[in-house]
Amino acid sequence: MDLSPILNQIITGLYRASIYWLIASGLTLIFGVLRVVNFAQATLLVLGGYMAFTFYAITGNFWISIPLSAISVGLIGLLSERLLLKPIYKVEATYQLLMTFAIALIINDLAKLTWGKLPVLVPLPDILKISVEIFGRSLILYVILIIVTGLAVYIAMALLINNTMWGLRVRATWRRPEIAESLRINTSTIYSSVFFLGCAISGMGGALMVAFSPVAPGLGDFLIVSAFIVTVIAGMGNLLGAYIASIIIGVSESLFTLYLPEIDLLLIYLIMAISLLLRPQGIFGER
Amino acid sequence: MVRGDDPVRMKLRDPLVYIIILLLISLLVIPITRDPFYLYLSSLFMILSIFSLSYNILFGYAGLLSFGHALFYAAGAYSLALFTMNVLRDPFIGVLVALATSTILAIAVGALTLRHSKIYFAMLTLAFGMLLYALLIKWRSVTGGSDGIAGIPRSGFIVNIMDPVARYYFIYGAFALILILLYLFHRSRYGLLIRGLGVNEDFMPYTGHSVYRLRMIAFIISGSVAGVAGALYALLMGVITPDLAYWTTSAEPLVATLIGGSKFFAGPILGSLIFIVITTLVARIADIWQLMLGLILASLILGSRGGIAEVVERIWRAGRSSGLRV
Repeated sequence: MDLSPILNQIITGLYRASIYWLIASGLTLIFGVLRVVNFAQATLLVLGGYMAFTFYAITGNFWISIPLSAISVGLIGLLSERLLLKPIYKVEATYQLLMTFAIALIINDLAKLTWGKLPVLVPLPDILKISVEIFGRSLILYVILIIVTGLAVYIAMALLINNTMWGLRVRATWRRPEIAESLRINTSTIYSSVFFLGCAISGMGGALMVAFSPVAPGLGDFLIVSAFIVTVIAGMGNLLGAYIASIIIGVSESLFTLYLPEIDLLLIYLIMAISLLLRPQGIFGER
Repeated sequence: MVRGDDPVRMKLRDPLVYIIILLLISLLVIPITRDPFYLYLSSLFMILSIFSLSYNILFGYAGLLSFGHALFYAAGAYSLALFTMNVLRDPFIGVLVALATSTILAIAVGALTLRHSKIYFAMLTLAFGMLLYALLIKWRSVTGGSDGIAGIPRSGFIVNIMDPVARYYFIYGAFALILILLYLFHRSRYGLLIRGLGVNEDFMPYTGHSVYRLRMIAFIISGSVAGVAGALYALLMGVITPDLAYWTTSAEPLVATLIGGSKFFAGPILGSLIFIVITTLVARIADIWQLMLGLILASLILGSRGGIAEVVERIWRAGRSSGLRV
């Protein structure tokens, strides 16, 4: 039996998984610390793609456009957190979710007004177009780069949270915000920096993605569903869980597309329903 | 709770009944204009009102945020279409079938989602709504895939609504009936208990009532009424597509309810009116209705979580306390 199509699908699946992860990581981080489900997370990833398109048009440099769009998406996230979310932290959690939904609607239409309705793509630099032979199949180096970036983001986040002073403060706020405050941790600053980081990661994800698959209006509406499935399967607020669940969903999606194209979409929801019935708190969630 | 102390009941006393009667009378005379556009818009308004009223039983009453209400809406629309085209050709029986389908679906989905926390519930309902979307897209032989179903019959052996005015009054009849039934539910013992869930869920077990059971009742009523709204939509349009199940459809009653005011019985109706005006009129000028809705939503969440109805009420009260007679 020829295994190469399977392996090829797995690599494509890992690419997909990285995109989901770059949304789910921000979602998980923000939910963990702020207890806010950021509905706008996927919209911010798409915005990152649009930003990269503009920065590429201005600077002409692919590499610079990535950090620039990550920072600007982070700043947009920070601004909306300060202006729109901070006043309602004391209110019921559903209204915070609704506020992020409103933010998603606003960013969606503003992006449509700025960049138009047509899909937008950034040309890939020649260095990254090189094909590499893996298992007898040629793959564009860029796909591998995105997969590695996904893993690097996980490692960087884990190090940042577990091994730095800032991470310690974040963990304290994550566990007990009131006690963290009594220990002179400025939780308001922690909230803002976490929100900035979570949005910047997704912004970077979009900037990376736009060189391989185009971004268009409505893409965020579609991606947020997958990101939610990932977080539901993983259990809310668990980074490692979200990373593993992204890989499970991404890889099984592309395997299903190859072998069961008639029902590929349905199977993902089936996985979700089964995992919920067996472990309602998520595979890695705490009760 | 002492009867007189209930703020919800106090607010919703008599003026509401007059407003509803006024609304029903003004909708009754719309066909005099003979303008098909107004007939269409008013029908759309009534359907969205039913959809939003059903949504508010979950959101405003039980305090549950759902992003998957389109599940029942689309299930109602598709079951009417499939039943009237393949089994028995009659719109009225089709609506009853839609009601039955969405009720059964609500029991099943409710059993899977209602025991979870509110945040999980929001994400789960989104995913279940998208499950139906995926099914409608993929099951081509039955649902017609992404093309949907066209040519939904509007005549049968009980009712014939081929004529636009007859269709309008058919939708009007359903709207009036549902409005009255939901108002009675709103005033009923269970209506009050479910509104209690939204006020403070943690106190509910002390009254001897199961939170899960009350949530289930709310979910079933909400889902079945949404199914009827979907069936009416299918009859109005004659064509349905899987987009009905996409989560952005679920956002419509949510936005309408928030704009109108989720703590008021008539809030979703007011919100639906504003929603229809914004989406049809603004969309004619420029394609920025999402931006408009987002801005309205954000300012209402910051300024008045009770929606426009609360703003009106505040102005009313301020006017009265300053001695002004309105």
